[in-house]
Amino acid sequence: MPGVTLRGLSKRYGGVAAVDNLTLEVKPRELVALLGPSGCGKTTTLRLVAGFLTPEAGEIWVGDRCLSSATAVVPPERRRMAMIFQSYALWPHLTVAQNVGYGLRFRRGMARADRDRRVSEMLRVVQLDGFEARYPSQLSGGQQQRVAVARALVVEPEILLLDEPLSNLDANLREEMRFEIRRLHETFGITTLYVTHDQAEAMVISDRIAVLDRGRVAQVGSAEEIFQQPRTRFVADFIGRTNLVDAVAATPDAVTRGGLRLHVATADLRPGARVSVSIRPHEIAFANTADGRAGDNVLSGRIRRVSYLGDAVDYQVEIEGSDVILRVAAAPALRLRPGETVRLVIPPSACVPLPE
Amino acid sequence: MRSTVVRSTFDRSVPVWIATAVTLVLLMILPLGWLGWVSVSSEQGATLANYVQVFGDPHLQKALWNTIVLAFWVGTASLAVGVPMAWLTGRTDLPGKRVIRALIMASFVTPPFLGAFAWVMLAGPNAGLLNKIYRGLTGSDDPLMNIFTMPGLIFVVALYSFPYVYIMIVNTLELIASDLEEAGAILGASRLRVALTITLPLAFPAILSGFILAVLQALALFGSPAILALPAGFHTITTQIWSFFQYPPKVEQAAAFSIPLLLATALLLQLQKRLLGRRGYAGVGGKTGARRPIPLGRWRWVALAGVFAVLACTIVLPYAVLAKAAFAKAWAQPLSWDNLTLANFTFTFFEYSATRDAVINTLELGIMTATVGAVMAALLAYVTNRRLVPGHQALGFLAVAPVVIPGVVLAVGLFIAYTRPPLVLYGTLAILFVAYLTKELPVGYAQADTTFKGVHPELEEAGRILGAGRLRVLREITAPLAKSGIIATWCFVFIGVIRELSASIILFTPATKVISVVIFDLKEEGQFAAISVLGLFMLAMTFGIVLLMQTALGRDFLGAKD
Amino acid sequence: MKRSRSASSSSSARKPLAPIVLLALVLAAAGASAQDARVAEARREGKLVWHTSLALDSAQRLATRFEQTYGVKVEVHRSGSERILQRVMQEFSAGIKNADVVNTSDTGHYVLLKRKALLARYTPAGAERIPAGFRDPEGYAWGWRAFPLVVPYNTRLVAPADVPQTWKDLLDPKWKNRLVISHPGYAGSVVTQIIALEKLYGWDYWAQLARNRPMLVQSIHDPGRTVMSSERAAGVNGADYGLLYTERRTPGATLAAAYPRDGVPLIFSPTAIMSFAPHPSAARLFTDFIFTRETMQILADAEGLYVAHPDVTYPPDRLKLSELKMLVVDPEEIDKRTEEVKKRFVELFGA
Repeated sequence: MPGVTLRGLSKRYGGVAAVDNLTLEVKPRELVALLGPSGCGKTTTLRLVAGFLTPEAGEIWVGDRCLSSATAVVPPERRRMAMIFQSYALWPHLTVAQNVGYGLRFRRGMARADRDRRVSEMLRVVQLDGFEARYPSQLSGGQQQRVAVARALVVEPEILLLDEPLSNLDANLREEMRFEIRRLHETFGITTLYVTHDQAEAMVISDRIAVLDRGRVAQVGSAEEIFQQPRTRFVADFIGRTNLVDAVAATPDAVTRGGLRLHVATADLRPGARVSVSIRPHEIAFANTADGRAGDNVLSGRIRRVSYLGDAVDYQVEIEGSDVILRVAAAPALRLRPGETVRLVIPPSACVPLPE
Repeated sequence: MRSTVVRSTFDRSVPVWIATAVTLVLLMILPLGWLGWVSVSSEQGATLANYVQVFGDPHLQKALWNTIVLAFWVGTASLAVGVPMAWLTGRTDLPGKRVIRALIMASFVTPPFLGAFAWVMLAGPNAGLLNKIYRGLTGSDDPLMNIFTMPGLIFVVALYSFPYVYIMIVNTLELIASDLEEAGAILGASRLRVALTITLPLAFPAILSGFILAVLQALALFGSPAILALPAGFHTITTQIWSFFQYPPKVEQAAAFSIPLLLATALLLQLQKRLLGRRGYAGVGGKTGARRPIPLGRWRWVALAGVFAVLACTIVLPYAVLAKAAFAKAWAQPLSWDNLTLANFTFTFFEYSATRDAVINTLELGIMTATVGAVMAALLAYVTNRRLVPGHQALGFLAVAPVVIPGVVLAVGLFIAYTRPPLVLYGTLAILFVAYLTKELPVGYAQADTTFKGVHPELEEAGRILGAGRLRVLREITAPLAKSGIIATWCFVFIGVIRELSASIILFTPATKVISVVIFDLKEEGQFAAISVLGLFMLAMTFGIVLLMQTALGRDFLGAKD
Repeated sequence: MKRSRSASSSSSARKPLAPIVLLALVLAAAGASAQDARVAEARREGKLVWHTSLALDSAQRLATRFEQTYGVKVEVHRSGSERILQRVMQEFSAGIKNADVVNTSDTGHYVLLKRKALLARYTPAGAERIPAGFRDPEGYAWGWRAFPLVVPYNTRLVAPADVPQTWKDLLDPKWKNRLVISHPGYAGSVVTQIIALEKLYGWDYWAQLARNRPMLVQSIHDPGRTVMSSERAAGVNGADYGLLYTERRTPGATLAAAYPRDGVPLIFSPTAIMSFAPHPSAARLFTDFIFTRETMQILADAEGLYVAHPDVTYPPDRLKLSELKMLVVDPEEIDKRTEEVKKRFVELFGA
């Protein structure tokens, strides 16, 4: 089972770079999610990998085969890949069994009976046994989705590509399918690239996430790494909610903004440099609910607005002596009111400095 | 290295695209180039003398003016009829909508020259059946209407142009969500006020472009003015261009007189395109939610009567009078047992030798043009939709460009281009084939384009990535999915071809007559009975094809799913 | 064809020439096998393309007869004389050689075609008996049939007292919107008529007639039809054969014809073989066929045409040409003035 290597990949549309010198390594049997907002180049990247597009620069390697370069492209049908599309792309004129069995027809030397057996096996795996003779229009959205999955997996591709496969499903079904896809990945162990704009989806499904920003990889890492240690302002902002404080490094391990001074998670800042600090709302505590440890940042402020969210309460707190407003997430048990004065405790480990 | 880099296999289809492009250039550039050149040529070299001569002649100025008058009023009358009909069938609880739509569709496919001819029998000032009835009822000496006048001509042309307005508007109304109208109603506006202040402005671009389509129809039409204006002693541009070909032919003047028609058409289409935006229909936006028909209350039956009055004029009366003339010994005499005969059919089909050849020629041309046209349109639409070649936008543009060339003008260009070496096509069916192909390509392309827009590219990509090559995907996935749309394309082109008159009338030779030309020949002789027989035959053929098309599409082809 | 005739001289069509019986007998005896060879050759050519302005039904009937007699198919292209010239010339200038035999009612055409060397010289069998009025001295075109141009009218719409007696009667304003006229751009006979009446009364005649706003139709047979349908009361011109002749003999007919006293234009319709005829043998065979007495008798009986054959007998109720005052125009003059006539007509009548 080979991995995929994207090396310096570029693709422009009418002078605008959709993919810009992108480099990414997907290890064998790994599932990597390409995550980013619309227009970040994630779908273009996937289509480059599939061979639907020719890159202007860079190369795509699968194992020891170079599949794409600026001068030559192996056509999609010879890439030994499979893809699941946002629209599912089920052929309306073919039955479920014909849809699923389509790719097997190009396997030389596979007997028809063998093919049929593999198709019904695969349909059983996706819990669609008995639906062989139906047409896609006779299936529900979730069932169509599973046919698309079966059609892609039955050919045992070296590489599996998924393009926002869950975006057409309703919320409940989507969550169920996330686990289903993860389960299938663990069963089959196919090297997979998964495009999504939904961070929760990416976190549940993938081994690693590649966050894409304007055609480049902003950061690659496990869900936890990306969330805990965002490397750019873009990543911090895009993954989960966060407070971003623009400040200036005062010492190697502290920054200031106006009267506000924060100790941060690193000790290698260059004094005088501009630094953005990301602080996740749930990492901030109120002083009367948690005693700070030595070295924690302790700030006073005033509650400006309270939003009740059911499983948490979201506060906006004006920090005394500065123009900074921090959002704090707390358990609903604590009920503070707008106008109340509070003290906030922020561990330095929660203050992640981001290079400008 | 397990495998080497493989070159894309798609290069080998490039010659196909190039051939298509070259063909398009030949269909368009050659005739138009010659047209432009001849219009400024004389024995002494380049000159503007032809233009000076043509536009300085008061008689020709009058033809020009007549055309403008005709086009303007046809546009206006088409709006006056088409807009209310579209609103009534698209928005209200008018009864019998299916029948109404079917009849409007029938008006759409009725060759206008047949309608004009039928109206000669209905509203000739003295012998016209309606005028006779009117005189009998009122005792008046004056006719109810005289079809051999400018208003008469406008009336008849509008009868077969209003469906263009209707289609534009009905399809736009479908895109206007009821919410927008109900938002007005909840603020206290009456039904009429809602229609006037909300629906109408939203549909305005469609209305204006429907107007332009009707105007273009009127500008390019040859048959109706030839049948109705010439007896009244006036010309339009198209009939004038045609009469330039009388011996000795004045081809240079015909060319010079064609240019303004060409420019006017191009200009109007440009305007229409701008009005509609790039997509080709009004960008009304909003979701196309459920639509609740507006109750008409007691006006229901009044409105229905109005609608049927119009449809009686376009379909019921003309078809009835054609049938009467076809079966009668003398069309102007009352229908009675002594006046009934099948002799007209015998004469037309078995004795008149021109009929058989014309029917064969027409079918041959219809099938050839429809087949080549559908394949070409499909190929072009596929290339442009899938962006297979650089410059695919230009291909799409070329495919729809012939729409700006009125049939008569195209014919003048083709006549000049193909009566000289190296390609002498005049005198063969090939020149008619070229004319029809050029003329019908835009319609075919539009239909094929819609078809391929409906086949999501991911359906093809899914096949590719699973191991099927481009051609295999084309055969096993694209073709079956596009099949019904392409059959519809074929039918559209076929219907367009068998009714074509304005180009045929200049390009035919005695050996290459088609049915429409034979009908026109018979008209010049006043052979009403034989024309009616051939007219009915043509209509039967047309409706046969329409049925085929509806079966293929599973809906009526005006665009709405029923 | 006679080159010049005084405008008012009576036709010599009915003057029988002495039959050259002996010669005919000799030809018949020697020709039996020669005739077989000609028919075989014509069959080999397969078909014949005939452009004629003869009324459609009659033309079609003749063609069928020829096919039945000789087994050679005739492609009939019936149209107005001027339209025929247009089509044949348009084909010729594009290098298309399709037409075999051409028959129009515009004697000027044969002057033009001869000048352009587009006619083949051929003398039909029995030509020596064709009267002078039907002959072209150079032997390229042969007058085949002739008919007068008359005023068709509807007896229900025109009171006996109102029936026009002269062409000038049609200028009366009471005819406004009640007339129908065939077009010289289509019908060759109308060119002859316009010149003939112009010579009598000047262009002013036509200018005044235009003020009565006649309905414009194309074929010379259409005024009769239009009058019969009661769309118009009377026609400025109608070919006095075919429909106009047969219809008015049926009982209860509403169609009638008036023969103006100031002269009736006599229209000759010559026939000729094209120099480039692709089926020359069939063309010659056909030309002989249409000049036979049998064929011509059919034309005379069924259509009321006056024909070239001296032995043809006419129905007793058919007017003798000698009883009419004839207006005949010289072919050369028609050829010279046809452009002018068409242009003036369009200026006066609008289209």
